[in-house]
Amino acid sequence: MSVNSASVSKRRFDIGKLVSGQASGVLILLAFYIVLLIVFSILSPFFLSVRNMLAISSNVAFIGLMAAAGTPLIIAGGLDLSVAALAGLAGVLIALLNAAGVPIWLAVGVALGVGAMVGLANGVLATTLKLNPLIVTLATMSIVGGTALILTGGLTKPLMVPGFNWIGSGRLLGVPVPAILMITVYVLLALVLRATHFGRYVYAIGGNPEAARLIGLPAKSVLLALYVVSALSGALAGTMLAAMLGAAAPAAASPHLLTVIAAIILGGTSLAGGRGSVWGTLLAVLILGTLNNGLTLLDVSSFWQDVTRGVVLILAVGVDQLRLQLQSR
Amino acid sequence: MNDLAHPLVRMAGINKSFGGVKVLDDVTFEIGRGEIVALLGANGAGKSTLMKILTGVYHADDGTTFRNGTEVTITSPRAASRAGISFLPQEVSVIPEMTVAENICLGIMPELGRGPVSNTSAMRSKAREVLAELGFEHVSVDALIGSLPVGEQRIVEIARALSGSAEVLVMDEPTAALSEKDSALLFTVLKRLRDAGASIVYISHYLSEVFEISDRIVVLRDGRLAGAFSTKETTIDVVLSAMLGRNTQKLFEERDDSAGSGPVVFSARGLSWKDKLHDLNMDVRSGEILGIFGLVGSGIEHLGRVIYGVERSRVTGEMAVSGKPYLPTGPIQAKAAGIGFVTAERKTEGILAELSVAQNLAASFWTDYGSRGLASSAQENKHALNWISRLGIVTTGPGQPMRFLSGGNQQKVCVARWLHPSMMFVILEEPTRGVDIGARKDIYKQLAGFADEGMAILVLSSDAEEIAGLSDRAMVIDRGRIVRNWQDAREVDAAALLAATADNPATLEEVR
Repeated sequence: MSVNSASVSKRRFDIGKLVSGQASGVLILLAFYIVLLIVFSILSPFFLSVRNMLAISSNVAFIGLMAAAGTPLIIAGGLDLSVAALAGLAGVLIALLNAAGVPIWLAVGVALGVGAMVGLANGVLATTLKLNPLIVTLATMSIVGGTALILTGGLTKPLMVPGFNWIGSGRLLGVPVPAILMITVYVLLALVLRATHFGRYVYAIGGNPEAARLIGLPAKSVLLALYVVSALSGALAGTMLAAMLGAAAPAAASPHLLTVIAAIILGGTSLAGGRGSVWGTLLAVLILGTLNNGLTLLDVSSFWQDVTRGVVLILAVGVDQLRLQLQSR
Repeated sequence: MNDLAHPLVRMAGINKSFGGVKVLDDVTFEIGRGEIVALLGANGAGKSTLMKILTGVYHADDGTTFRNGTEVTITSPRAASRAGISFLPQEVSVIPEMTVAENICLGIMPELGRGPVSNTSAMRSKAREVLAELGFEHVSVDALIGSLPVGEQRIVEIARALSGSAEVLVMDEPTAALSEKDSALLFTVLKRLRDAGASIVYISHYLSEVFEISDRIVVLRDGRLAGAFSTKETTIDVVLSAMLGRNTQKLFEERDDSAGSGPVVFSARGLSWKDKLHDLNMDVRSGEILGIFGLVGSGIEHLGRVIYGVERSRVTGEMAVSGKPYLPTGPIQAKAAGIGFVTAERKTEGILAELSVAQNLAASFWTDYGSRGLASSAQENKHALNWISRLGIVTTGPGQPMRFLSGGNQQKVCVARWLHPSMMFVILEEPTRGVDIGARKDIYKQLAGFADEGMAILVLSSDAEEIAGLSDRAMVIDRGRIVRNWQDAREVDAAALLAATADNPATLEEVR
């Protein structure tokens, strides 16, 4: 009997290995990304130039940052819809404080601090009061977005401070600073998820919250920390965007919320929690950014780009589902 | 009244295996017209499997089902209900936001309605008619069912089955969620139905109930028919021995006298919780295994949760760990006090399905493996390899995702997770539910070993043989109270535990 069950589990595992877990999801995305690169480089001679690649990396940094921190939060079973609105508020705060004579880096500190506070509020409402995170962060999104509009009267505020604008448009050894910032955040988060006890807790809490509770894992503090990190990444992304544009528009970031969530899901993170990786999210961000860039180079209207993005998302989620079904068969 | 020469339903020569393990072996089971048949057997005897085959949830590997003498193939629960066979699960399953009438007519709405539009007045009159049949015309058909007491919800469930013109009702532990008063109500209804010609299969562990309500008793043991009795002509003892048989395999470790002489690690005085647990007293000593036996619904499923701090509100009485007052605000505090808890709900509350075997084994004490916040896979794997060989966990290796393991091996992992040197007191709920005999033996051996090293162990189980074989001391819980207490459980057998719930003695020994 035990021999029998051994052989059963062995055979299953071999199939499992073939399309095993998270690694295969990331591989499928990588393959798709490479195909995308090949197709666009055939269609447009300009596409595969260093300059264009760097431009893509700089363009996706803003969405990439928010999606990076959103990934562990969703893996742990949380959700943050307020990030993009926070990005808007952060830019606005920096511009207004700077105009009022506050030193620029102090203004940046205040913006990040406000971000952290909003994250803390999200976290407390969602964990201690056990409110649904979808509703909580939808509400804070509305509050934060509204506040940015109130503060500016809906107007775009200029923000030109030489040292500051370098964050958005400068280069370090030829690489755009936003891209460096983004990659740094991804490497850090990947290390935390993979190599720390905290990372283990994230997957356990999201995969089976009830088991994690009975095991005695600090589920509340972990989620609280993740909400704060997510909000901070929103504020940081907003800082970067304002620096890049040389101006802070209260609603500049809000339309990108759906792209952020789409990238996380496209990257193989399960909305139900327990499954996902930041590298998957990074690839998804690159795929979406490359699609935009390539289609723009091919002179496809931006309306069609929206349609394409939607189709890719459905395809990706469909393939992922197929893979999981194959695995559990 | 019942006519077994022409049974309403006859299942003949039923065989069923799961993964090479035979769970039903040539079982023949008959249901006469107008009779209540009790189906009895220990955990894993095959009762549920047999009834799931009858109601189309499972398919028999071999064997035939006849209805009125004609062969029928029941391929799904829907097909079963069309054949007039209705299954009522243990937990009351009604839709609380709907009215009584809507709940009753849930299955026949299309027939009553006009096209896609549901016909409220037809539903209400149909519901009234069925309730009257049951003698419950006083229940308002317009009341939201969530507002009714559980006992009446159960009646509505029966009404729902009857509205779909069920002739055979299969009920699994129907009184588990009911109070004594509600149970009495249910019995009146069931007898009334029987007298009107309905056939009822009644699955229960409560022998006293079975003797009160049934006409016939059929006993399964290890997947085989172990006896069929006319209730009037048999006794509890005869039925018990048919259920338990003679266990030839040595499952349990020999325990010596010294168990139970260590210091008290955990004690409870007057522990109560809501209306589920009443005034419980117990001491668990270092080096001993205290087993508490209770049937489904006896409160056994709540006790561990209350001690471990999962249930916190409305806990009264006193608890102490090593003499210090103990009142946990949650599992984290319980764990810090040196208490571990293995849940009965392995799938939903035990395993971390996507994580590896090694991580599952490390989960309760993750910070042991690695340092300064950094996790160490190497240390996790080393720890896992040790347990894999000690407990004979069948896996391809420490890195295999937990979800690929069989139930028995998952259970070994869930138990091993808490067998940690820092644990003074470990509570195990149904430690071997749904686990094959080999894995049971391995788990029992480890528990005995850790007790010998000084751990205090509390086993809560509805498996009488498990409690009888494993415990140094034993108690029986029934309707939320401890009804028997043996200071030395070496001579206690499963029949004595079951009998304690059957006769419900009002007096009980003091712990002190």
